[in-house]
Amino acid sequence: MKLNYKNLLFAGFFAIGLTACKTDFLDVNPPSEIAADQVWTDGALSEAFVTGIYAGLGQGGFSEQMLASLSDEAVFTHTGRDINLVNEGSLSASVLGWVDGTYNWSNMYSRIRATNIAIANLPTATFTNSTLRDRLIGEAYFLRAYYYQQLLRYYGGVPIIHKVYTLDEDYEAGRNTYAECVAAIVNDCDSAAIMLAGKTDVKGRATKLAALTLKSRVLTYAASDLHDVPTMKAKSAELASYSNPEFLGYLSGERAARWNAALSATKEALDASNGGYKLNLTAPVTAEEGKLNYVSIAMAGASGDKSLDASASSELIFAKYYTPDLNEGGRSMGLYNGPNGYHNWAGNTPIGLLVDDYEMNDGTPFSWTNPAHKANPYTNRDPRLYATILYDGADWKPRPSDVNDPANQVQTGAYDILNESGAKVNRYGLDTRQSVVEDWNGSRTGYYMRKFIDPNPELRDQSDRQNIPWPFFRVTELVFNLIEANIELGNDAEALTWLNRIRFRAGMPALKVGGDALKKAYQQERRIELVYEEHRYHDTRRWMIAKETLGRPMLYINVTGRFKAGKSMREPYRYDPTVYDYTYTSVEEKSHENRQWFDKMYFRPFHRDELNRNPSLEQNPGFAN
Amino acid sequence: MKISILWKYPVVVRFLFSLLFFVAATAAGLAQVTVKGQVKDDSGGGLPGVSVLVQGTTTGTVTDLDGSYTVSAPQNGTLVFSFIGYVSQEVPVAGKTTINITMLTDVKALSEVVVVGYGTAKKATLTGSVTAVKGTELEKAPAANLSNTLGGRLPGISAVQSSGEPGYDGSAIRIRGTNSLGNSNALIVVDGVPNRSGGLDRINPADIESISVLKDAAAAIYGSRAGNGVILITTKRGKSGKPVLSYDFNQGFAQPTVTPKMSNAEEYATIRNELQIYDNLTVDHWSAANDAFKSTGVYNYKNASGGDASLASVYGPDAMQKYRDGSEPLLYPNTDWYGSVLRNWSPQQRHNLQLSGGSENVRYMTSLGHTNQDGYYINSATGYKQYDLRLNLDAKINKYLSANVGVTLREEFRHFPNGGGAGDIFRMLMRGKPNEIAIWPDGRPGPDIEYGQNPAVITTNTTGFNNDKRDYVQTNAGLELLIPGVEGLKLTATAALDKMMRRQKSFQQPWTLYFWDKQSYEADGVTPLLSGTIRSTFSDPRLTERSSQELSILLSSQLSYEKSVNDHNFNAMVGVQRETVDADGFFAFRRYFISPVVEQLFAGGTAEQNIDNFDLYKRARLSYYGRVGYNFKEKYLAEFLWRVDGSYVFPKEGRFGFFPGISAGWRVSEEDFWRDNVNFLNNVKIRGSWGQMGAEPYFLGTENLAEYQFLSTMGFGSYVINDQVAKTLNETRVANNTFTWEVANNTNIGIEGTLFNDKIAFEFDYFVNNRSKILIPKGGSTPSSAGMDGKLPPVNLGKLQNKGWEFKVSYDDQIDDFRYSVSVNGGYAKNKIKFWDEVPGAPLHQQTTGKPYGSFLVYQYDGVFKDMASIDNEQLDYSEISTNLRPGDMRFKDIGGGGPNKDQPDGKITSDDRVGTEKVARPWFTGGASINLGYKAFDLSIMFQGAFGGLQLVGLTESGDIGNYLKYDYDRRWTIDNPSDVYPRLTNRNNAYYTNTGRAGINNYFLKSNNYVRLKNIELGYNLPSEIGSKVGLSNFRLYVNGLNLLTFAKIKVWDPESTSSNGHYYPQSRIINAGVRVSF
Repeated sequence: MKLNYKNLLFAGFFAIGLTACKTDFLDVNPPSEIAADQVWTDGALSEAFVTGIYAGLGQGGFSEQMLASLSDEAVFTHTGRDINLVNEGSLSASVLGWVDGTYNWSNMYSRIRATNIAIANLPTATFTNSTLRDRLIGEAYFLRAYYYQQLLRYYGGVPIIHKVYTLDEDYEAGRNTYAECVAAIVNDCDSAAIMLAGKTDVKGRATKLAALTLKSRVLTYAASDLHDVPTMKAKSAELASYSNPEFLGYLSGERAARWNAALSATKEALDASNGGYKLNLTAPVTAEEGKLNYVSIAMAGASGDKSLDASASSELIFAKYYTPDLNEGGRSMGLYNGPNGYHNWAGNTPIGLLVDDYEMNDGTPFSWTNPAHKANPYTNRDPRLYATILYDGADWKPRPSDVNDPANQVQTGAYDILNESGAKVNRYGLDTRQSVVEDWNGSRTGYYMRKFIDPNPELRDQSDRQNIPWPFFRVTELVFNLIEANIELGNDAEALTWLNRIRFRAGMPALKVGGDALKKAYQQERRIELVYEEHRYHDTRRWMIAKETLGRPMLYINVTGRFKAGKSMREPYRYDPTVYDYTYTSVEEKSHENRQWFDKMYFRPFHRDELNRNPSLEQNPGFAN
Repeated sequence: MKISILWKYPVVVRFLFSLLFFVAATAAGLAQVTVKGQVKDDSGGGLPGVSVLVQGTTTGTVTDLDGSYTVSAPQNGTLVFSFIGYVSQEVPVAGKTTINITMLTDVKALSEVVVVGYGTAKKATLTGSVTAVKGTELEKAPAANLSNTLGGRLPGISAVQSSGEPGYDGSAIRIRGTNSLGNSNALIVVDGVPNRSGGLDRINPADIESISVLKDAAAAIYGSRAGNGVILITTKRGKSGKPVLSYDFNQGFAQPTVTPKMSNAEEYATIRNELQIYDNLTVDHWSAANDAFKSTGVYNYKNASGGDASLASVYGPDAMQKYRDGSEPLLYPNTDWYGSVLRNWSPQQRHNLQLSGGSENVRYMTSLGHTNQDGYYINSATGYKQYDLRLNLDAKINKYLSANVGVTLREEFRHFPNGGGAGDIFRMLMRGKPNEIAIWPDGRPGPDIEYGQNPAVITTNTTGFNNDKRDYVQTNAGLELLIPGVEGLKLTATAALDKMMRRQKSFQQPWTLYFWDKQSYEADGVTPLLSGTIRSTFSDPRLTERSSQELSILLSSQLSYEKSVNDHNFNAMVGVQRETVDADGFFAFRRYFISPVVEQLFAGGTAEQNIDNFDLYKRARLSYYGRVGYNFKEKYLAEFLWRVDGSYVFPKEGRFGFFPGISAGWRVSEEDFWRDNVNFLNNVKIRGSWGQMGAEPYFLGTENLAEYQFLSTMGFGSYVINDQVAKTLNETRVANNTFTWEVANNTNIGIEGTLFNDKIAFEFDYFVNNRSKILIPKGGSTPSSAGMDGKLPPVNLGKLQNKGWEFKVSYDDQIDDFRYSVSVNGGYAKNKIKFWDEVPGAPLHQQTTGKPYGSFLVYQYDGVFKDMASIDNEQLDYSEISTNLRPGDMRFKDIGGGGPNKDQPDGKITSDDRVGTEKVARPWFTGGASINLGYKAFDLSIMFQGAFGGLQLVGLTESGDIGNYLKYDYDRRWTIDNPSDVYPRLTNRNNAYYTNTGRAGINNYFLKSNNYVRLKNIELGYNLPSEIGSKVGLSNFRLYVNGLNLLTFAKIKVWDPESTSSNGHYYPQSRIINAGVRVSF
């Protein structure tokens, strides 16, 4: 019995120990998170929060589906990404078509919320480094302005939300007018510029110059045709019948005043800049140098190819950078867009409409009806073509070892060739959709993108990743904004001077035009120089030339190589005009994407669900709820 | 020797014997005899482990291996023979010294004891809906994963196995379907530990004594985690008696139940030529192009602008002929990719050694198991190995105190190749073009399909390895104290300490594939000249090592009391339980290895190395629980259960919840009026229960617990600043301070009983589970412009009702040596969302409220446009989904879009014409039927299992220029020659409105019923008769063959009906044949 009482005591203690335990152990703190209010007591944590907001920039423009493929620059090769819904105008409130994360409604407002949190908390933050605090406030203002700018240029006026919502509030928010949005963004740009003044520039962070440049862009857009309601209405019946034009543009007011505002903002930014890369030339460089300049600008010093000029990174005002230490999709541009004959995916392939818009290097237009041009379409063109586009016969990187092409040239045609047994066959090149290598990944257009792909031969795009930064803003855009405002304000001479500087850098001769011709030349130059940089989609809209540009059916190129009389070649094939007669045929193509323009495409639709959740949100013109 | 000496002195002997008798008789007060005998089961074999007790005492013994016993008993006493699952027998000694008896199987199992929450209960007096299965049943299925043996065995339990990959081949088990918008998985309790790390999948079936399933308020004692029902697993414990050593060996062979039949080279080439026409020509050219392709392979025509144009077929007539006749297999191959990569049968083995026994005071059960399961691939680098050891000890310290200890050690070793997961491998098998070479005649691997992925290589360790080792050390210890002086009062204290250690090593190695230019040959002129090249998506080796550990501690103690006064029987119990889980881990990544030979981190370079944490989590819960039971004469039954749960998941204010359950039963058959009037129905019990249980929040549509949702915190991320990876912070959520437990109101009524002298047993249950306060984020009505998408916390808002019924009927009989039993069970459960935060404004036919959770929103297939005439005659406007209708396109029904509520036809096909389905992926009804037959030494058991009422999106395969088509689709397609108004035109990479899931690809042409019935399990066994066995020292010798998933009858023909894949990119479920031997000494 004695023993049993011991047992009882033992078990009893055990039980009491358990029941008596306090419930404190239920207060578990998440091991991988920190309390939100702690952030504002510490400079490094506050900085980490603001740095986190940059993630809303996504991969910049280096998404697998580039904005270029939603314009007359390129077409996206693979189906099922719903890009065609946008280009064919069959998008609707319930089927939005392709929407990239960098302007997606939900993403933008999530990031805007983060900027609002930073702007609300930083002024009362308790850490002592006020330089850091001011810089972070400035960055937050810049990012808020940037994200609103993204929304504004895709959707028109949007609800301006500067508060941080808590749970169970009334979230209904109607659209602000276009004018109010511009004013709010400009205001944020100004605040950012003030707070960022005198701060050390750091790669990847917003700077005062970035804020000024953003302001220049927003005011330039704001002054454009699409956002002047009288002009807009005159040019589009669809938009004219829209009952809330104030969401799309200015109902009244002097356009000249708006252009002047754009001009002075641009000048301020340009003055604050380093002047960009080789924008002070007085005569054209050689074609070779022009190509080198252009490639160097695109590579911005981040290529391993030492023949390029690393100092061209001075063009960059604000960019998304990459490093080998972080795997991000934007480092796969070569894989996403390169030729299938290199085991790449041929995503955003240039279309004939773009390639044909490159001038001859003497400044005259290219034309398929010119027999000399047609016979040799890739000779004596604007040097930037060679830096931007891979075409049949173009030299490119070493082929992977399973692909037999010692010449390392792009093959997008069908060529006569003698096979092992000496018989003449006509076979398709390695980079076609009839290739022996991954034919489903071949270009449909006969062209491949080169511009943002690191030409470093050591870099194998199928497996290696590049570190080329995405340029959100570069000095040349400011120069274009300057030219555009000057043209609109009648200062043709000033405009022409700057336009020619851009041309000289590319190895193109000076233009001597004025008036409408100058405006056309400007639009052409901007299209070529800023190609693949997410400008064309917007420019064609704000200039209201989308119907004549984006609305065109696409052009592809057909290339055939037939043996010249008495000549022949055995495998492996190489481009050789002494052996082959090459025929180049530009073909119109509608089956992959039946591109059409409807004026509802000026602005993206809001999703039906969002309209239902927020009844104050007015749909854009041409879209039913 | 001594006795023989003694006999020489009869007087002394007589004296001694007299003395002995005197002493014995005085001590016991009665004359004792030694009774010997053998207990046999109804098949005539010795039955070990039967308890033989002298009635009214605690004296007794247990039968040994051949059923023999020896016990000392009073001459006029009575022996009670009892054994679980058999009818107890009472035999008066009446002076006999030999008593042989045969135990009869207890069909009604009235005396059966069932494991319930924190205790056991007699089946007879159980008032809740509890169903159980014995471990021996489960052992009959040769599945390597225990969860795959449960389907069809227990009414109301559904198990869906969506992958057969070794190591990840478990079934998702649910009790009574879907009960929540969060997680609907059952709570699994292993030896008293809820949510025990490792779950039930990997427990050695030979270690399992029983599995109990608590389906209704009987689960309420598990409170907050009981809303979806509870599965209790109890492992075997030792029985007193001679040690029993048994050894089991199984050799099994597995193969996929179904592999998709793909088109052959000629068929694929035919489709590609058709696509060439569809993708490049307007409809007016189709017929002419089709003819031209067949005759010359080239179609010359005038394009829209009147110019000369020409289109070549992808495969000309010559090539088509070669594919057809197979005359040049290297240039015109016809590759069966599945056949090239999968072997017919993949081996799997299981060894199990069990030793159990014990004395009256100490009992032990030890089990040592090893499982080895290989992948389906030829040269498979995929496989699963397990080593497990279990030791269960029970000790009786003294009259009042007993203790038990259980230790489980288990290593789970999953290994995989490293060129892509099973999804990639099966994706590439689906895509593999039949006119490409998989493996060259000399054995070298052919080209990849993409990304260097040739299934013949990425299934092997040429690609490196991915080894995942998880080691479990799980211990239970318990003390049970019968409190002296208070009859029936017992204190139990238990502790469980579980440690899980995981180590993963993933070494990726570049691999080489071999290509042929289709024209160069070796010197012999016939052997193709191949060139090898590295085709992996990386060119230098990489190594990732991960290491993590988890420690779970559970402490509980409970006090229970039992008392009977006259015919009133009471029992009561209260307990407390504290659980904590703490885990952490880290990983390291390096590349730039000095040599691929050294597969260790130190040999890697420091550039681009990566080190980080993972698996960082902590959990804590505190619970109080109890039970009060009462019955009168075991006729009127009542029980009350409760639990108070506190969880770290909830804010302080709502942290604790109270969860009661009540149940009552009436054994009608115990009433005199029944006994006197209804004699064919025996043992009828009517029971009912109601319980209110809880649930914690989960992220919508996932099985991830939504923790810390009341805390405003920031989480970490990365962004590149100044060429460095900078740490970033992001708002993790908008905190909610006021949410609390989900409430599950589960009601059940049931009837069970037996007919015709217990030959037929039946049970039927009807239940209504009303879940309210379901924790969901208010994402439906919160505009994205509020900026809170993805950060909304749970609020107690959702309501869901789940109703259904279950039944089980079994029949058991014996005709001479022929024993047979048949059992059928089934369960039906259908849920309906009563309320959740749906996006406002959807037309009625699209609203999910009122529909089951997981409803598909689909366009309504309405045949196919057979030709241009049918398109021209079409009255409906298709412009919103296609601006260019062509023959072979799919037609849809006009359902909505018109009227003020958009629920009237509007003459247009738009997204408003999609309709929410009434069925979901999970079947409404699952059931099983089993037949057990025995004749002399042979026994046969057969089990069929089926599921009905579910839907699965099937056939949106990755096909076109990118990959092959299902033969099923080839056979059922619109063609120019044979236009159909039923089957649509095949499309290239799903590039048509009716195959693109972003457009109208989600339509009910592709939504197929996943009904099936399968021969789930069959076992034929032979037991060596014990007369023969005992001569060679064997107490038991059994030979058996069994099989799993041997036959399947399903509506989905292209792959296994349990698949949840719409495109076939998954590791298929297994069919297993297996043979085994069991030897006991």
